[in-house]
Amino acid sequence: MRLASMALALAVLPTAALAEPDFTGFWNLSFGAGEADPALMAKLPPDTVVLADTGAAEFPRMVFGGLKLKPEALEHARNWRAEDDMTLQKVCLPPSIVYSVQGPFPFEVDQTRDALIFRYEYYDQIRVIFMDGRGHPGPDYPHTKMGHSIGHWEGDELVVDTTHIAASTITNNGLDHSDQVHMVERYKLSADGTRLEATQWFEDPLVLDNNGARFIEWVKQPGQHISAYECDPSFVLEYNATDAAE
Amino acid sequence: MVRAVWKLAAAAALLTPLVASAHHSFAVFFDPSRNVSVTGKVKAFRFTNPHGLVVLEVTDAQGHVREWRAETNAPAVLVRRGWTRDAIKPGETITIEGWPSRDGKPYIRLSRALRPDGSLVGSAPFGRQDQS
Repeated sequence: MRLASMALALAVLPTAALAEPDFTGFWNLSFGAGEADPALMAKLPPDTVVLADTGAAEFPRMVFGGLKLKPEALEHARNWRAEDDMTLQKVCLPPSIVYSVQGPFPFEVDQTRDALIFRYEYYDQIRVIFMDGRGHPGPDYPHTKMGHSIGHWEGDELVVDTTHIAASTITNNGLDHSDQVHMVERYKLSADGTRLEATQWFEDPLVLDNNGARFIEWVKQPGQHISAYECDPSFVLEYNATDAAE
Repeated sequence: MVRAVWKLAAAAALLTPLVASAHHSFAVFFDPSRNVSVTGKVKAFRFTNPHGLVVLEVTDAQGHVREWRAETNAPAVLVRRGWTRDAIKPGETITIEGWPSRDGKPYIRLSRALRPDGSLVGSAPFGRQDQS
């Protein structure tokens, strides 16, 4: 009887380990995304503006979707020129997760109990989300474009908190965040498991007077895989070799 | 022979979020309110990131040859739309349609490429909101 109980407990363990939703698989941006999930949106903190630049959309110059820029950030955006990014030094610099999480490229998820690995096709970026209960490192820990992410489950939602993100773009039009940006994402699967929905919320007290957020939706595409990106900076030489305007 | 066709789009489009590119901003770098179409002989086709790129020799009505360049989506995106690394070959004549760069250079963002018989390169064109 006792042995039977132990066997039953062991049999139950793997199931318990998989009690959380399984995000494993290839996820491509949903270009026909419907309305943002009201339950996720309701959990966004106050003083947050939801940006309408998710996926393939982008804001034109000096449009920031309701984000309130501090004077220094506004001045930086005003002086920013897209052509300045077309150099060998800059053309292959990856953006931070603040921008790339919502871009029109797919990503793959590998999931274990202690960590989720998000592998983004965009710039070959890889992100580890620690699920083992650790906290963020101290302020002297290196800042990177992917930052340091810790996650936990709240029911069927994955909540990811990210700090230590190196300064980079927010909207790809001259608005940059600082290395003090803080991001919180909430992910959940649709009832049938074919869609992954998320809110991406961020604050940056050095750059913004309010907070920003996006709603993002991906669709699962079984059998697909992400491709290597391997950015080749010599691409920019083609632009530079193009005749000047007539 | 050069064939440049410019179309004005609704002014409201300028106020709407536009296409993202792999690295530089589409909305800032290209003019989504205009379309351009050029026909010429392919000089080169790059199939690399952050963008593919076609170099096209375009001859105008006076017989002057000018190089145009058209950047494409990232190769992985092209592959998902039926392109291959040799989908466009040097020496062949094609028509490329797209959005012109704002700086006035003969440089465009490709929306579709057509062969002389009117057939499309790949399985579908690249729209402004369905880039992947």
